[in-house]
Amino acid sequence: MSTSTAPPAELAPVVDAFAAAAAGQRRLVIRGGGSVLDRLPPTDAEVVSTAELTGVIDHRPEDLVVTVRGGTPLQELAALLATHGQECPIEPLAGHGSTVGGRVAAALAGPRQLQAGRVRDWVLRVRMVTGDARVVTAGGVTVKDVTGYDLCRLAAGSWGSLGLLAEITLKLRPIPTQSAWFTTHLPAGRILSTLYRPAAVVSTPTGTFVHLEEHPDDVAAQATVAGLEPAAAPRWPTAARAAVDPARLREVTALAASAGLDHTAFEGVGVCLVDGDADAIATFGDRVVRLGGHLLHLDAGAHGGPARATTTDAMGERVRAALDPHRILLDPRESR
Amino acid sequence: MEPAPMTAPRRDAPHTPAESALLAHLGRALGSEGLRASALSRATYRRDASFLNADPLAIALPATRDELAVVLRACRDHQVPFTPRAAGTGLAGGATPTGVGGVRPLVVSVARMDRLLELDVVNRRAHVEPGMVNARLGRAVAAKGLRFAPDPASQIAATLGGNVATNAGGIHVLTYGVMSQHVLAVELMDTDGEIHLLDGRLPEQTGLDLRGLSVGGEGTLGIVVGAWLRLLPAPPAIGTLLAGFDTLEAAAATVGALVTSDRLPDAVELMDARAIALVEDYAQAGYPTDAAAVLLLEYEGLAAGVSAGVDTAARLAGEHGATEVVRAADADQRARIWKGRKAVAGAIAQQAPDFFLQDVVVPRSRLGEMLDAVVAIGEREGLIILNVVHAGDGNLHPFVLFDRREEGVLDRVFAAGHDIVTTALALDGTVTGEHGVGIEKRDFLSQVYTADDLAVQQAVRRAMEPSGLANPDKVLPTTVGCQEARMVPEGAWV
Repeated sequence: MSTSTAPPAELAPVVDAFAAAAAGQRRLVIRGGGSVLDRLPPTDAEVVSTAELTGVIDHRPEDLVVTVRGGTPLQELAALLATHGQECPIEPLAGHGSTVGGRVAAALAGPRQLQAGRVRDWVLRVRMVTGDARVVTAGGVTVKDVTGYDLCRLAAGSWGSLGLLAEITLKLRPIPTQSAWFTTHLPAGRILSTLYRPAAVVSTPTGTFVHLEEHPDDVAAQATVAGLEPAAAPRWPTAARAAVDPARLREVTALAASAGLDHTAFEGVGVCLVDGDADAIATFGDRVVRLGGHLLHLDAGAHGGPARATTTDAMGERVRAALDPHRILLDPRESR
Repeated sequence: MEPAPMTAPRRDAPHTPAESALLAHLGRALGSEGLRASALSRATYRRDASFLNADPLAIALPATRDELAVVLRACRDHQVPFTPRAAGTGLAGGATPTGVGGVRPLVVSVARMDRLLELDVVNRRAHVEPGMVNARLGRAVAAKGLRFAPDPASQIAATLGGNVATNAGGIHVLTYGVMSQHVLAVELMDTDGEIHLLDGRLPEQTGLDLRGLSVGGEGTLGIVVGAWLRLLPAPPAIGTLLAGFDTLEAAAATVGALVTSDRLPDAVELMDARAIALVEDYAQAGYPTDAAAVLLLEYEGLAAGVSAGVDTAARLAGEHGATEVVRAADADQRARIWKGRKAVAGAIAQQAPDFFLQDVVVPRSRLGEMLDAVVAIGEREGLIILNVVHAGDGNLHPFVLFDRREEGVLDRVFAAGHDIVTTALALDGTVTGEHGVGIEKRDFLSQVYTADDLAVQQAVRRAMEPSGLANPDKVLPTTVGCQEARMVPEGAWV
């Protein structure tokens, strides 16, 4: 069985680095492609890179499953899958260089999350080096697996605070027959209630953008029903991202507009991206928190403090201690 | 299945001082409706839908969160373990009240906590109590043009709390995903009676996804007292296809072709000749009774895509030698096709007094090999095994039919079950896809995971539920490193 084989030798340097950090009471931060980490405030933690852990381990097109090393660039994986007409719809978000491990660890939401679901939902199996320097596997290569606790969900969005994601098995799907962006002056709420499961709906100050991924005839019919015009994919701000309950996204968008920030909202997802004056962004962030959301600064130079407000969560802290008892791993969003 | 006959003498074990104190306290707090301890009640709650059974201390049936908190705090104070339970449709013994070291657990049923707390049509989500039956939510949201995707075959009885606890699957997992993908937030009560909102409603997390961890926790991490569930719009078009084949191999090969076609079906179910014969006799679903296998396929969504999908499926089935292809012309015909699939368990009751339902998964490309192996195992053990398969997911549900009155039959049933699991593992599959580990599959985990893997699982469990009182002997092997998987735990009777 693949799951109980000995840990690959390539993980020995990571295991050694983790053990040494525990012995020396040093803190580590895990770096993938740097597309997110390099835009967070710097820390004094030692960097452990996944740059040597690249490449596809096993692609089974007939099973719609791929296993890759954590440091594999997302675009490299996407190119390979495309040759088989397949994809894993977890698009790179923060510029070039995103790795599969980094994408899963940060689990930032893209606009296609509206229909394709969350990053975590595409993860079938992980092999990670935990904070206590153990090589641990959870999940399996089948699309259904309830064998033991669901540590794959725990690993997704853990921001490197539990371990280094060395191998990840992802669920795949066929690339949609047609994929196209449109624009409309109708408000996003109308689009969401009119169209059947659009791939993405993005609202900007200049209009609503709609992404459809369907059979060509259905794309044409949906476009007609909602009066959509073909358009290029929208571009969005990158300085900071607010995450809120999608039910409150409109309030957040209004806050961004009134603060004079450039803004774009991933409708039905609950993300509002902003750009503009640093003080205005900070004030906006405070208001987002009051609405039950949080703000992630992705602009290393603009902000001296932590990239997000830290929260206290006793149960989460206990789970974190279970995998990283010496607390060697830094969530790079935390203050150093 | 009928309640299991007792194979060991019933005894009313004397209560320890802690048990007596617990029962006295709960009797005062819950009244006669909320606490049952008679021999008859205990017999009713000995087992879930598996045939593993054991004698509980008593059954608590709190009607509210406050009452449940009283129950859990009392268990904590008196150090009595508890077995969470909802409808009891689980198939792996997760709700069987086995104790540890001879201590009988208290069954804590959430069946009376069954309200739909909020239906938010605009934001497409529902806030439910754990005892609400899956199909009841389905009916409530259908009236608003919405649907709740997870549809386990037991959905007319299974509860949403149980679905959360087992990370249930169903027929439409292939494209819609398992329960976890439809759970936005979980309210989990710990043994101090505190409720933890494990909130996944934000698109990006500030902390760890404890929601995801709690889904599939099988009652070992606390008790699910509420959940926010994701709803989807009802599909405007549905296309359903029934295809018959001369051989299992041809049906399995068609599944492989469908999974790699340019549009995934939303459901791909396979039934073998024995299953077909049984359900046709019982439900008259219109399946070809001379076929070695049938595939039931469904496409949902917008009209052109659905139509193209059904065309592709019909073509692929034909290319793989389908002897009969029927497209459902209307909703009635579609309902009839699915009626056969959903009637399997009921039909079996006409054929044999007992069945043992397995749940294993293999990579989809190994489905044909796995089906052949199941047939061979049945022949070797002299047992009738019929195959009902969530084929698109590679998830097999072999039903092993038997009559427990037959001398020595249980040994053969267990041997067959064991061999089915080890065969799936050898094909790079896994021991459970959707029914859960419970006690039935517990000791197989040592064959799936390394000692380090299991140590981390144990550490995570303890971090989530430090008291160790919640369903203590379930999910993880009691002795890590146990070589031989046991089908029946100590203290449980079959």
